[in-house]
Amino acid sequence: MWKIIVRRLLIMIPQVFLLSILVFLMAKAMPGDALTGMLDPNIDPAAIEAMRERLGLNDPWYIQYWNWISNAVQGDLGQSFNFKMPVTELIGQRLMNTVWLSLVTLVLTYLIAIPLGIISGRFNDTWGDRLITGYTYVGFAAPLFIVALLMLWMFGFYFSWFPTGGSVAPGEVPGTFSYLLSKLYHMLLPALSIALITTVGTVQYLRNEIIDMKQKDFILTARAKGASESRVYNRHILRNSLLPIAAFFGYELTGLIGGTIFVESIFSYPGMGQLFLGSIVIRDFTVVTALVLLYGIATIIGSLLSDIILSIVDPRIRIK
Amino acid sequence: MRKRKTGKTMLVSLLLVLSLAVTACGSGNNEAAEPSATAAATDAAAATAAPTTAPAAEDGLYSIEDFSPQKTNQGEAIEGGTLNYGLVSDTPFEGTLNYTFYSGNPDSKVLQWFDEGLLTWDKDYVFTNDGAATYEVSEDGRTFTFTIRDNVNWHDGKPVTAEDWAFAYEVIGNPAYDGPRYGSDFTNVEGMEAYHAGTAKTISGIKVLSEKQLQVTYIKSTPSLLTGGIWIYPLAKHIFGGMDVAKISASPEVRQNPIGFGPFKVQSIVPGESVVFVKNEDYWRGAPKLDGVVLKVVAPTTVVQELKAGNIDMVDSFPIDQFPDNSGLSNVEYLGMVDQAYTYIGFKLGKWDATNAVVVPDPKAKMANVALRKAMWQAVDNNAVGQKFYHGLRWNATTLIPPSHPEFHDDSNPGVAYDPEAAKKTLEDAGFKMNGEFRTNPDGTPLTINFISMTGSDVAEPLAQYYVQSWKAIGLNVTLEMVEFNTFYDRVGSNGEDDPSVDVYQGAWSVGIDVNPQGLYGHDAIYNFPRYQSDENDRLMEAGISAEAFDVEKRKEIYNEWQQLMVEEIPVFPTLYRAIVVPVNNRVLNYAINDGSGIYLNELALSADKGIAAQ
Repeated sequence: MWKIIVRRLLIMIPQVFLLSILVFLMAKAMPGDALTGMLDPNIDPAAIEAMRERLGLNDPWYIQYWNWISNAVQGDLGQSFNFKMPVTELIGQRLMNTVWLSLVTLVLTYLIAIPLGIISGRFNDTWGDRLITGYTYVGFAAPLFIVALLMLWMFGFYFSWFPTGGSVAPGEVPGTFSYLLSKLYHMLLPALSIALITTVGTVQYLRNEIIDMKQKDFILTARAKGASESRVYNRHILRNSLLPIAAFFGYELTGLIGGTIFVESIFSYPGMGQLFLGSIVIRDFTVVTALVLLYGIATIIGSLLSDIILSIVDPRIRIK
Repeated sequence: MRKRKTGKTMLVSLLLVLSLAVTACGSGNNEAAEPSATAAATDAAAATAAPTTAPAAEDGLYSIEDFSPQKTNQGEAIEGGTLNYGLVSDTPFEGTLNYTFYSGNPDSKVLQWFDEGLLTWDKDYVFTNDGAATYEVSEDGRTFTFTIRDNVNWHDGKPVTAEDWAFAYEVIGNPAYDGPRYGSDFTNVEGMEAYHAGTAKTISGIKVLSEKQLQVTYIKSTPSLLTGGIWIYPLAKHIFGGMDVAKISASPEVRQNPIGFGPFKVQSIVPGESVVFVKNEDYWRGAPKLDGVVLKVVAPTTVVQELKAGNIDMVDSFPIDQFPDNSGLSNVEYLGMVDQAYTYIGFKLGKWDATNAVVVPDPKAKMANVALRKAMWQAVDNNAVGQKFYHGLRWNATTLIPPSHPEFHDDSNPGVAYDPEAAKKTLEDAGFKMNGEFRTNPDGTPLTINFISMTGSDVAEPLAQYYVQSWKAIGLNVTLEMVEFNTFYDRVGSNGEDDPSVDVYQGAWSVGIDVNPQGLYGHDAIYNFPRYQSDENDRLMEAGISAEAFDVEKRKEIYNEWQQLMVEEIPVFPTLYRAIVVPVNNRVLNYAINDGSGIYLNELALSADKGIAAQ
């Protein structure tokens, strides 16, 4: 087991290295750079040229790449041109917002998915089941950003139940209880918007698993032994059906980090996604490359995590 | 299976992100950045009395003349109160909260609340003696003596001194300085270049005369000095004096606890999303009437909802395409003024010589014939464009000095009027004869004109297509290519490497407060994208900033002559002037958006506790 994990981690190194070259070249291939947007007759072009020279933007790509990667290995991802601060510090500020948003989303996703999946699977082909599967089909079809906009309009503006932007109310003092509450309050609506959409896959998966499981021999045996219906469902069926769901937890996590990009923009929630979009627009390359790299690493780790969980919960599967 | 699906969604969302970013780009930047050093729009003089209601639109058209730049006061001011200010932006503000270092426009909107320049300017953008400092000019116009008022203090109680002001010059002139300010405004200070190169320890042209008196000597005296050519923002030496210049912009004193001497103090900042200000009791113009201001970033997609709900009282800018649908909001008043900008069509007439940093006109260029350029101007109906695409909030432009500079904009110059028949005649007379569907060059070779325009707004492409069709109507074969903002300026020549396949382009300029057009049309300006040069143009440009131009009447004459020259030579022709329209909640009192209104932020007041919601 440990061997496997170490090996997977070692494979990660060339993967990340390749990714970094790709990301870097793609970023450089975009027309313009961080200084193009400063086109302004009031700013001396010579001053812009001097900045370009100082930032090394005039060097050939391999020199720029070498400078970047040699610093990155030492944990220095460079300086954001736009924010004029170290990228690591900048991402640090935003990372926690996204991580918390993802966690709340994850909790909400499972809170919705598990009861719905169980009801749907246990009472399949009833009206309740049809209603739930109906919802999942709508969920599959509805694009996340439309749902998010609708939710924002309805609960944010029309009913004004939730705040409509930001991650915390202005003026709250960090560390206090009301600060934490305010943060939670601000992420509830975006998290719910994502959860309502991402949960539908899990609901269907769980439903199928349960229906599948119901016909298995060991369930017949359990029933034959006189186990009560609730015991059959809670102890035998549910436990087995949840295994694959648990296994995909890792993927779910990486999917979330990518999935928050649009929602963060819609809710003006200052997380990594919003930073990512904004940085592309203004060609803040150091931030873009650092973030893509981060997303890439998160995906690789997520899949590793999933494999590990899978091998733990399902003894039939052993990674060799 | 599950695994593959995740990978795919990631890729698709990445692609979506990228394509989204590309469009956002154009819309955010389809004109050049805002005037740099001079972003505080609320500084300064007299506005006319205002109409009381939102301007009514007949047949869906609006006119900037129906808007006032000054808020009509409704009701009595309450004691104190907190104003909610929306910073409309897709992206968080950068957080470089110091005039010496900031570069993004959003930051300047944060800065205006807690810091200001030592000089203010009037409606003609000329420095006045009403600000935190006064100035005197020597006989030869090269030496300025500034006196800072005694009651001007930093937020920490320390006085704003001449040392602080000189320190700003030293930091910007320092080779390690990482902001965008070091340019011709600074190299014009005596001894600055030697200091910047490291050969002098001090800047010889800057002398601290006393605690509150500073003297700056310039190499060349020009009237542009009085319109934004002087650096007016001090830098607190008692705070930044001991720091490494390269590290100041990232320091907590710039980012988390920024300091200024403006009407409000920064109480707390949530990076990129909100700032809470409290009033500065010690403000030199007198304590503000408000208790505080809460600034938060609002996405352009939701700004209307926030305004309707009364969650925000005013905004720094408003997406003009959302105005017609929301012009009737009952809880806000729309203020408007003419933007310091124009859209234009440019003709490539030469190349950029990078080694000598001058433009080199090419007499053989495809667009070198002035008759061809004139016909292209005559062929387009810009008033129709303004009405059809912008509901009248953009309108036909006549000269290259926009009416936002009323002193120098020549009202009597009609530009070139729309007249397609005259356009055909112009071409006919110049020898561009019809051959089949299109006209040929006078020497009989076929003429195909390549036109590029920026993507961005929803109307960008139809608008460009309209121009192509108008030119087709007079027999010109114009091919259109729509490109994204960064590519556009790369190809037009922002790096000096002009794409030879571009003949005609549609661009826009923000002009800043100084009227001097040398940065855009001078023979040594890289932003002279048409690469146009003529002796007459050089002469007028020089005359406009010469000593005799200190006489405003004389300067007007010179620039009127220049505007006329541009109408005759047409290296570019202006297409549209534009309006700025911003909504303000009815409860806000004493507010104006125009330069020189004489209304300052410390007078801002509210007439109700809470923002008024729309009915």
